[in-house]
Amino acid sequence: MPEPSTANFLQLINENKGIIHKVTKMYMDKVEDREDLFQEIVMQLWKAYHTFKGSSKFSTWMYRVALNTAIIFFKKENRKVDKTSLNEQIDIADYNDNQEKEEKLAYLYRAVQELNPIEKALIFLFLENQSHKEISHNLGITEINARVKLNRTKEKLQQIIKKNGYEF
Amino acid sequence: MNFDQLKEDWNNNNNNHGEVSEDMLKIKEAHTPIDKIRKQMKQEFFVQLLSLLLLAFTPKIFGFSSELKSIFILFYAISCAFCTYYFFKFYTFYKHSYDLGLDSRKNLLWFYYEMKLNIELYKALTYILGFIALSFCTTALFIIKGTLLSEILQKFSMFYIVINAFVAILVIGLITEFWARLYYGKYVRQIKTIIDSLDEE
Repeated sequence: MPEPSTANFLQLINENKGIIHKVTKMYMDKVEDREDLFQEIVMQLWKAYHTFKGSSKFSTWMYRVALNTAIIFFKKENRKVDKTSLNEQIDIADYNDNQEKEEKLAYLYRAVQELNPIEKALIFLFLENQSHKEISHNLGITEINARVKLNRTKEKLQQIIKKNGYEF
Repeated sequence: MNFDQLKEDWNNNNNNHGEVSEDMLKIKEAHTPIDKIRKQMKQEFFVQLLSLLLLAFTPKIFGFSSELKSIFILFYAISCAFCTYYFFKFYTFYKHSYDLGLDSRKNLLWFYYEMKLNIELYKALTYILGFIALSFCTTALFIIKGTLLSEILQKFSMFYIVINAFVAILVIGLITEFWARLYYGKYVRQIKTIIDSLDEE
């Protein structure tokens, strides 16, 4: 029987694990690397759980820990190259009803791999509906800087997607 | 490209597959750059400790004279004192915990300076030990009489010996720098690149 705090933590994590999955997809291209990052984020959240005072929402605190872990996480070296092409990945998604949406997101995840860790964080927080103020708080930069950086990153992302032969 | 539409698709996308179990919380080893550096330093710490213990048998193995043995004990005691001090420092660094709940900038800066401090401490200890070893070898060469090396040494001027000692210290320094850069430097450089991208206007 797990301790109450462990049970609480697991419940909160399972309610919000979608955030972690999205972060791992943003930061890692290969499935194995995503699994490693997922484990690392869960472990770091668990290690830091005692510092969570509940003054903010659990998900707000989780964004920070998950993103900070992902930003400084370096994938394992000497791992075999993932030969799965994007088309194959999309084929798996074809079973889903929302084929077009899945395809669009698959291209997005592929395109963001060409961004640096800070740009990935900016796009992630933007997609998670965070305001410029919230983004600036999470990253520790000024609001103006967050706005400028986000606009630049969006332009860069558009160019990458266009370069890869896709447009949406 | 319609970012609003993309945002909507993103938020409607279901990523809730798989359950997080209690087993996942039992993994002990973290993989942040500072954890990797600390792990490598911990391994080196045991190698250094073992080397220090083996070094204690040097007078017996090489059959030092009582005069040389006294000098060796003096240098050995100095080395042990420095090692104890630095090992204690490493231990306190090792126990420093990080808070990933800070904003990214504070978090990255903490990692960067913590890594730099760890590496500088490591380099300082290596320089000191190298310098002590070199000093002992030089002293020993002046004390040991009758060997071929001491006879050769007596033929050279003091200036030449000083130059050699200087070059030797320089080589120790270069090897230490190279070693630190090779084993620990890559993480510091990667974190620095991320900080720079955050600071870019």
